[in-house]
Amino acid sequence: MNIDIKHISKLSRLEIEEDKIEKFSNDMQEIVKMVENLPEFDSVEEVLDKNYTMKLREDVAVTDKFKREELLANAPFVESGCIVVPKTVE
Amino acid sequence: MRISDKTASELSKMLRNKECSSVEICQDVFDKISENEDDIKAYVTLNKENAFETAKKADEGFGNGEDMPVLAGIPMSVKDNISTKGLRTTCSSKMLENYVPPFDATVVKNIEKNIVPVIGKTNMDEFAMGSSTETSYFQITKNPRNTECVPGGSSGGAAASVASKEAIVAIGSDTGGSIRQPAAFCGVVGLKPTYGSVSRYGLVAFASSLDQIGPIARSVEDTAILQDVISSYDTMDATSCDMPYGNLYRNLSENIKGLKIGIPSEYFGEGIDDEIKTNVMNTIKILEKNGAEIVDISLPSTKYAINTYYILASAEASSNLSRFDGVRYGFRAPEYKDLNDMYVKTRSQGFGDEVKRRIMLGTFVLSSGFYDAYYKKAKKTQQLIISEFNDAFKKCDIIATPTTPTTAFKIGANINDPIKMYYNDVCTVPVNIAGLPAVSMPCAYSSDKLPISIQFIGKHFDEQTILNAAYSLEKIIGNLC
Amino acid sequence: MREYETVIGLEVHAELNTNSKIYCSCRNAFGLEVNTQVCPVCMGFPGTLPTLNKEVVKKAILMGKATNCKINSLCRQDRKNYFYPDLPKAYQISQADIPLCEHGYLEFMVDDKIKKVRILRIHIEEDAGKLLHGESFSGSLVDLNRCGVPLIEIVSEPDLRSSQEAKMYLETIKSILQYINVSDCKMQEGSIRCDVNVSVMPKGSDKFGTRCEMKNVNSFSAAVRGIEYERKRQIEILENGGEVLQETRRWDDIKGVSVLMRSKEDAEDYRYFPEPDLKNIYVDEKEIEALASTIPELPNKKIIRYTNDYNLSLVEATLIADSKEKSDFFEKAVALNKCKPRSISNWILADISKYLNENKCEINETKLTPEVLVKLIKLVDDSKISSTAAKSLLPDVMADGKDVDTMIKERNLLQNSNEDEIKALAQKVINENEKSVTDYKNGKTNAIGYLVGQCMKASKGKANPALAKKYILELIK
Repeated sequence: MNIDIKHISKLSRLEIEEDKIEKFSNDMQEIVKMVENLPEFDSVEEVLDKNYTMKLREDVAVTDKFKREELLANAPFVESGCIVVPKTVE
Repeated sequence: MRISDKTASELSKMLRNKECSSVEICQDVFDKISENEDDIKAYVTLNKENAFETAKKADEGFGNGEDMPVLAGIPMSVKDNISTKGLRTTCSSKMLENYVPPFDATVVKNIEKNIVPVIGKTNMDEFAMGSSTETSYFQITKNPRNTECVPGGSSGGAAASVASKEAIVAIGSDTGGSIRQPAAFCGVVGLKPTYGSVSRYGLVAFASSLDQIGPIARSVEDTAILQDVISSYDTMDATSCDMPYGNLYRNLSENIKGLKIGIPSEYFGEGIDDEIKTNVMNTIKILEKNGAEIVDISLPSTKYAINTYYILASAEASSNLSRFDGVRYGFRAPEYKDLNDMYVKTRSQGFGDEVKRRIMLGTFVLSSGFYDAYYKKAKKTQQLIISEFNDAFKKCDIIATPTTPTTAFKIGANINDPIKMYYNDVCTVPVNIAGLPAVSMPCAYSSDKLPISIQFIGKHFDEQTILNAAYSLEKIIGNLC
Repeated sequence: MREYETVIGLEVHAELNTNSKIYCSCRNAFGLEVNTQVCPVCMGFPGTLPTLNKEVVKKAILMGKATNCKINSLCRQDRKNYFYPDLPKAYQISQADIPLCEHGYLEFMVDDKIKKVRILRIHIEEDAGKLLHGESFSGSLVDLNRCGVPLIEIVSEPDLRSSQEAKMYLETIKSILQYINVSDCKMQEGSIRCDVNVSVMPKGSDKFGTRCEMKNVNSFSAAVRGIEYERKRQIEILENGGEVLQETRRWDDIKGVSVLMRSKEDAEDYRYFPEPDLKNIYVDEKEIEALASTIPELPNKKIIRYTNDYNLSLVEATLIADSKEKSDFFEKAVALNKCKPRSISNWILADISKYLNENKCEINETKLTPEVLVKLIKLVDDSKISSTAAKSLLPDVMADGKDVDTMIKERNLLQNSNEDEIKALAQKVINENEKSVTDYKNGKTNAIGYLVGQCMKASKGKANPALAKKYILELIK
């Protein structure tokens, strides 16, 4: 399996430094080679487990649990109560 | 013997008998930190002021003769991927170097309810990805048994804090062995609870379907006490199970008469150090002599466990770690051209190499054209592994294996060989894949004086039986922590 | 130029009108101050986990049942992964291969014919936040209030063949969503939006052309414009010997054009996989049936029945059926079986609706009963009172429930049907309007209407118009 590192890094929003790319690619190839050793199955379709289900939450709204300043305190850039990101052009 | 050398159960009695105060215990623990921390580097952030505040609160309670929780006043450490309100939670990553959560994890709330002082946040492999704590952005934690060696990982700081008496007990997290392997390397007890018994709310997710918070301590009793504190049904975690919790410590029993212990040959084969095999087998024989029954079992798909684990864990991680994009919290690259460039620069500069490797592996196995061959197949293999465990548990009550294939290795020995590093988890990973509980405890020391540990694996929600086996063993061979 | 057929499939996103968001307890509310309806969960803070709102599942099942879907009582949620600043977790929790509802259909009227459109699936998912743009801002601003607002996505099969059909389909979906209280469908708040898939093929062909997906369609009229534009664009390409490419386009309603967003080669790889933070959803059959039993007859069904059985026009049927109060009233009045259903609908849609609009109330909030309305209609039908007189009584009936008979007596509204008197009146009018009589004799038949009108005027509205007409015709001869 030859994995397309460029495509995968694009999807992951990651870039690998030039001097590391060769070792990185090799490591990735080795890892993929390792993990692809799995048993063969007639079908890989999954059957949902009726015993693995969850309780649902009641539809009750809770307000004012957090202050806006508190929730924005970690944001790198804030303006007019909003988080700022580079301009997105549609 | 110093006060910080004692176990939680001993200190709990002393506090009740007014033989010491919580403030004194905290003080001694912080003294230990001043003495050892330069060498050990277990902590990323200390929480001295708040710890003493809680200690004072506990002392007041004891002073007033209130009915105090068992663990009240006994200082503990918290792994740095567990959210603490107002106290930075870094996951040992540059990405979250300055991140301060606006909320507490459910386990932290449980700890607070029990008036347990939190000493600080412990070092770990970045985002819990690693088996040596060497991938931390901040520092390399040393193994207190031998400071040339790694403490294991990813909860290396947690295990080291307990082993070096820089905390009485600790909570870590275990996705593929991250509690049990460092506990084994550092010679302390570590429990990976059944999936769903400890709330994951507030635990920074690595692999959501495998992650579980659990206790690390210096005795089986302490492990049970702490597990009783942290386990609870939590409506904030949809994968949390509504079960009765909190009676493990009270129900500890050293009676192992007739206990059927399954021994899977697959865990004693190639790749496991002979010295470990011999010592773990000897330990099992001791249990047999004391009334347990030994049953040979087979878990043939164990050989696929590591592969299954790296596919499933990385797939989930690639998605879980996508939120670190420099927008709402955490690191943002100082320079970028546009939105996409901000994403790429932020993530490339904010994550270390191992994290990048796992994100890319996870992205690959989920990507169009490969999903069926990797992710879906791994899911199927997971079912196979689970059904083999179910079959095995028809023949035995618990399963005994080594915790690790080797004893603690030297710092730097495996860091450039990811695959070799991954095989450290070969004995622990199947337990996470099957969502089972397992406890690791030291059972011997190697010729070079490093701890060797045994792992007891239990049925779902049967922490009691594995802790009883461990408790019994601790009584027979003595506490080796 | 060859003739072409347009093939349209629609993906409708409707925000559900629950109290709280889909995966956290924040308020599901529109139009509040930026970033005030948020918490660590919907902001995607590390370590937070989703918990599914029960009401979302219920409402989605209701819509599934209303559109004749099979309900998957056991299903799960999946993650759709992509990076965008309005998506805090960088994945949207949605449903992939096993939606909550699938394989349904919807019937509605288009041009006097019943149109049936198959529903492929209805699934639940979370909405994203909003980006605010402005010259003075240092970048784009992120408001996360809308993050986690519950959505259902209703995906149709490509069964629609014109923009008109698409519009009727959308109107029908909207009226059902509102009727069963699943969504408020406030267009201006963007609480219902759609993506449109359009392709064209030569008429008579059984092979669909290559489709384009059009996003950013924010109103039903925009959907019509977008479809028409896309149809023309694709036909033009084919007529010029070109090939329509599979691509995602964005509809710009202001400029009235669709523009390329991305081609098939650049298609996003969303890497769907099962959401590990949530267990499977399970709703037992009994609960599903109990929900289904709460669904009343839906507007689309009523419209079909009203047009077929009661001879109402499509517009009339729609106007009555879309209001639960009006259709309830209408059906009760029809059930009395004393007058034509169409007379009842005329009254409801004209004078009664006028009163309701002026007084801002619903028909069931007035004193008017189906029995009284039918009585009024019958009085007119039997020529006891004129329709003008009947209408003049309406406000007092609706407001105060005054007795019709008493009012007729008090106001002296009974029509005069005394043959001698009417004959005399007719003669008088003929004598005074010689010109109209001449007109009539010269073939202007509508002059009769004028003469009858003069009789009514002279009798202050009380003369029986049928009798007046009879004698005028007799006397002119």
